[in-house]
Amino acid sequence: MLQLESTNLLVQETFANAFATDYTPVSLDRTITDFDFTTYHVSTPETKTKILISISINCWKDLAKYGVLDLLTSKYSKYPFIQILADQPEAGYHFSLYIDLEQASFENEEAKKELISELSLLKRNCFAAPFLKAFDRYAVLSKEQPADPNNIYGEDSHHNTNEEVLTINYRDLESIYITPSNDRVTVIFSTIFKDDTDQVFSKVFLQEFSDARKRSIQKAPQVINWHKEIPLEIRHLEKENTDNKTYITFVLFPRHLSTEEVRWNTITHIQLFRSYFHYHIKIVKCYLHQRMRFRVSSFTKILNRARRDVDEEEMRAERKTASGRRFEMRA
Amino acid sequence: MSSTTPAVIMDNGTGLTKLGFAGNDSPSWVFPTAIATRASASSSKPSAPSKPSFLSSSTSNSSSKLSGGNLSSIKRDMEDLDFYIGDEALEAAKGPSYSLHYPIRHGQIENWDQMERFWENSIFKYLKCEPEDHYFLLTEPPLNPPENRENTAEIMFESFNCAGLYIAVQAVLALAASWTSSKVTDRSLTGTVIDSGDGVTHVIPVAEGYVIGSAIKNIPIAGRDITSFIQTLLRDRGEKDTSLKTAEQIKQEFCYVCPDIVKEFNKFDSHPDMFAKYMVETVSKSKIEVDVGYERFLAPEIFFNPEIASSDFLTPLPTIVDQVIQASPIDVRKNLYKNIVLSGGSTMFKDFGRRLQRDLKTLVNERVQQSERLSGTKSSGVAVQVISHKRQKNAVWFGGSLLAQTGEFKSYCYTKQDYEEYGPNIVRNFSLFSVP
Repeated sequence: MLQLESTNLLVQETFANAFATDYTPVSLDRTITDFDFTTYHVSTPETKTKILISISINCWKDLAKYGVLDLLTSKYSKYPFIQILADQPEAGYHFSLYIDLEQASFENEEAKKELISELSLLKRNCFAAPFLKAFDRYAVLSKEQPADPNNIYGEDSHHNTNEEVLTINYRDLESIYITPSNDRVTVIFSTIFKDDTDQVFSKVFLQEFSDARKRSIQKAPQVINWHKEIPLEIRHLEKENTDNKTYITFVLFPRHLSTEEVRWNTITHIQLFRSYFHYHIKIVKCYLHQRMRFRVSSFTKILNRARRDVDEEEMRAERKTASGRRFEMRA
Repeated sequence: MSSTTPAVIMDNGTGLTKLGFAGNDSPSWVFPTAIATRASASSSKPSAPSKPSFLSSSTSNSSSKLSGGNLSSIKRDMEDLDFYIGDEALEAAKGPSYSLHYPIRHGQIENWDQMERFWENSIFKYLKCEPEDHYFLLTEPPLNPPENRENTAEIMFESFNCAGLYIAVQAVLALAASWTSSKVTDRSLTGTVIDSGDGVTHVIPVAEGYVIGSAIKNIPIAGRDITSFIQTLLRDRGEKDTSLKTAEQIKQEFCYVCPDIVKEFNKFDSHPDMFAKYMVETVSKSKIEVDVGYERFLAPEIFFNPEIASSDFLTPLPTIVDQVIQASPIDVRKNLYKNIVLSGGSTMFKDFGRRLQRDLKTLVNERVQQSERLSGTKSSGVAVQVISHKRQKNAVWFGGSLLAQTGEFKSYCYTKQDYEEYGPNIVRNFSLFSVP
């Protein structure tokens, strides 16, 4: 259906081809994009069997602050044929991997698939760094001071107010704020709508998130929607809402952070939220357009029904110019 | 920020859609312009009854029966979200619950509902880009009604909020793609484009970036006809495998254009090694050998001698090209003869350009001689040049990529602000690329 996937299909396809056994090396020079101003560049600068993949991310500076390089190194360093060019990435890009196809060897098909998917998840892996950092901090905090079981309403305890808020300015004016605390991790997205009507759609759409939680899916994180008002957690960071931003708060509970697998799953989903959100607003509009087109065509049908059938002969007799000439009738 | 992201080039053709980013040398995605929707959902959609039935026969029956009835009720569930595009659509349509649609007929968009969803999925799923961050270059066939442009703009700006939009005529982009050929010295947008895809072949004269609409001619011979011609030849000979796929493979691998059929027949008879063999792998993994004989040069020959394949269309391609140029304004004719550009998969045969150039030159020279004889003056001669280049197959897309990576491209686009200021009719005119 319309689930956005965090794998980049083009990167995936490129490497699935490149690692195939019957691959004939070709020279590549391709630009590929991803959401949130991410650009990949796949090229073969030296020989056809060495593929250089570089990534450029708008908010690399923020990610670097939160240890993205260590994370990427740990992800890709286990493959001996991949050279990580962290210090000297390709000009204009932030991170490069140099893959030597001739050296590439896999234990089995599974391992090959895993690498292909890891490469196509490069963007997710980059964005994961601040989230992982926050999750680790949460683990420390929760050990220091276990969550109060009596605090059933999830009120904030005072100890957490001084926690550092991790900020990712992932788009020019839009940011993600992550705050760890002893019993939860709060993720706040700020987003801007270029179109005013989009904002109206967004309200309805976000309402659905909170309703869904009430109805059936109690495992979902709590979602709070703020229009224009700045959430208390980040009020010290953002003084004024000048750009008419919308803030969306996700509260991740311990169950979203329990195991390594669940953590990655949480990251995969939450970092795509903004794209997913805007995508679905666009889908809603497409659907409305469909209905409008349908309405118009059904109204036209009704109007056409009301039209009187004039006898053609009669028409021909009626339509004459001043000089008495007739019009040529066309079907 | 959209100034740094590469522009998106979308070339939606009748058969195939080419998607990619500006600056790349080949499209990132090439897949059929097909959309598979829930079979029951199509009945409630307002599908025009006058449309030729392009659904598979079984579903068209059921849907036409249903659409006659309760049109006013649209199902309000998730059916509108349940669809696939491209190769996935073909895959899904094999099952019972989806039906396949082609939203573009004869190069023009016929079903806007389906096209809107097709774009939506191709942008977000396949290209992975946020349309608000990217400029878009779309293509349109020659003689596309301006209303279609407006509809396109409405969808691109209102549904997708795209940063900027340029709609280019395919023929002009094909001309731009020919600049990569070494034969082209001046980068002009004047020339004759021969665009031969799967369904139909167009001959389009373009003068300084403007399509001369009155002179365009279509030829009902294209890739599909060549394939079926090969298929009949195989069947007549009683080959073991005569499937459409085999015929298509033979067309792509073995066919070429010969200078003279009679000589070529003799050559084949005296050199048996000209006959090729094609191995077909069947489903059961056994291999069948298919002989490839005269169809190697006979198949593309139907462009030059249509009478060998069809009985209703008999004008050879060079004659059509000549007629088209003769129908164009007299002051551009010389340049049209000088710059004949090939585009599309069916022009990929070896020596296609050379043969066309030779035949056309013969026609032109005869006329020049005749006029010299009649008038008694000396003519300065007319140069005929057919340009083949490496990018012929995706020439339109490549031309778009070439133009959209220039720095000025964004200044030719209309932005969302322009659209809101002037309304959809702003896209009726686009300023042409200034030619360096």
